[in-house]
Amino acid sequence: MDAHPHRIGRRTFLRGAAAVGAFGAAAAVGWEVRRATTPHQWDTAAFPPPDLARVAVLRAGSYDADLESVVWDGLRAIGADVSGARVVLKPNMVEYDPHGVVNTDPRVVVASVHALGRLGAASVTVAEGPGHRRDTGYVVEATGLGPALREVGTSFVDLNVSPSAPVALHSRYTNLGALWLPDAIRTADVVISMPKMKTHHWAAATLSLKNCFGCLPGRVYGWPKNALHWAGIDQSILDIAGAVRPAYAIVDGIVGMEGNGPINGTAKKVGLLVVGDDPVAVDATSAYIMGMDPAQLPYIAEAGRFLGIADLDRIEVEGEDPASVVTPFAPAPGFGRSGSLTGGQ
Amino acid sequence: MVFDVIGARLRRAKTSDGGYGSVVGAGPEPEPTAMAALALRDADAVAWLVDAQLPDGSFGTRAGSVFSDDTALVCVALPSGDALEHALDRVVSTAGSNERGQPGPPPYGWPWTSGAYGWTEPTAWGLLALRSKRPSATARIADGLDTLVERECAGGGWNYGTPRSFGVAEPPFVQTTAVALFATAGVDESLTRRGLGALGRLWRQEAAGLLSVATAAAAFRRLGHSEAGPANDALERVIAGPTEADTVALAWAALAVGPGLAALSVG
Repeated sequence: MDAHPHRIGRRTFLRGAAAVGAFGAAAAVGWEVRRATTPHQWDTAAFPPPDLARVAVLRAGSYDADLESVVWDGLRAIGADVSGARVVLKPNMVEYDPHGVVNTDPRVVVASVHALGRLGAASVTVAEGPGHRRDTGYVVEATGLGPALREVGTSFVDLNVSPSAPVALHSRYTNLGALWLPDAIRTADVVISMPKMKTHHWAAATLSLKNCFGCLPGRVYGWPKNALHWAGIDQSILDIAGAVRPAYAIVDGIVGMEGNGPINGTAKKVGLLVVGDDPVAVDATSAYIMGMDPAQLPYIAEAGRFLGIADLDRIEVEGEDPASVVTPFAPAPGFGRSGSLTGGQ
Repeated sequence: MVFDVIGARLRRAKTSDGGYGSVVGAGPEPEPTAMAALALRDADAVAWLVDAQLPDGSFGTRAGSVFSDDTALVCVALPSGDALEHALDRVVSTAGSNERGQPGPPPYGWPWTSGAYGWTEPTAWGLLALRSKRPSATARIADGLDTLVERECAGGGWNYGTPRSFGVAEPPFVQTTAVALFATAGVDESLTRRGLGALGRLWRQEAAGLLSVATAAAAFRRLGHSEAGPANDALERVIAGPTEADTVALAWAALAVGPGLAALSVG
């Protein structure tokens, strides 16, 4: 197999006005985009400034493609080091959906398991704590993830009920103070966030940072994890992602969801996987591909101050030029206002 | 026989102090301990609960500023006594906050965590606790029932508590419908009949999940529904399968086939 079938080369973003569609204006309405002069809301010692963010934007035409090679290419392109590591993959499995649009596709998860094995990971575990369904077993079986993982001998951890412990937060965007985190997340050498590329009625886009909500146990926070949403959606995303600290992200953008996301939207074919060593940079890149200006999405912009790099000009991109693959998503109705109390992942 | 198998699996999550963890190897917590106490009629578990009561009468888990409140469920598992009365006082005095931390207009129901919105399952436990242990709390009982009426999905049954979201009708789920039926049975027959109809239509679609099939089997048995037998058969198949099981799911399975179900039957 060609190690670099995507003609990977370094480039920076060519930001064009065409990339900023309806989201650019919508995101700013009623939202306070923080300024750089805002006092730190994080412990600087816990979040050393990142010096480099690498993201690979990779073509993947369908779920029947050789996804293992695509993921492997992406991880190699960003210099992912998982040799000897105990890796936890955190997909976004919210709800059974017969159309396969809501969740990270199990084929991407299995491809990632194989690719990480080829890169020398000591172990790979898949873990998720669905936010709407208390019966994780049903979600995992109905979506096909359970059978797919058994076929490749990979274990699954239900983060909603697995052993967990409280950890103090090193950021203070909410008044939560501490979060209960599953041992599977706390003790992993490497956590990889694997979201579906989707719109979200509160956060505009739900990507690798928002996906971290599913790391928190439902047995403490409930179904849905309403206390977190009411602490402020952007603020919760920042504090939770700052606690989980995924090392890498792999975004399933082969078929995303636009419109009434994250549950009731419609399929949006993009044909991409986005892989990176900085979840903030991955989310900024993915939001850009979705036709949004990441600088106008408060949680991404703020995450760029302490958790990673959100400035498109500072992200080194391998593979496809993001400007050439922009695929504008229809925004979620009600985006930016509270029309539901459920939140969602 | 099946009850013995489930009971043995359930006891693997029992801790040395008499409580139960959410899964094998986890520390004891009020919710799994209360469920095991009900399912196995385990006196050690009841004693653990009494010891775990907080000064304000509540039972739960604190995570920073978030308190996960299991008090209503624990009330169903506690015997008569001071601990129960103190806990019931707490249940009567707590409610969901339906406008981001503010009371807003009723109904309120009960939340998963203090100060949050009222949702289907905790509201069902609040309603069941007061109906069975403090029927004089008529205002809160009426509010709990109003909450379940308000949250009923089109055609009957319940999901986690949102029948519509951004203009879209959301479908009911098996597990939440089954749990809610224990709270509505004997007090609102029309609501219960619609929920039972939804459960009858749905349960086979979600039978791959132990918690779903166990709660469905328990609800069918409680209500004398003809699907109780097929649901029990499905439960036995899932128990024998590869799915990992947590304490709450196993406890519901034990309730579905064992003697503990009587504690959840009111009216």
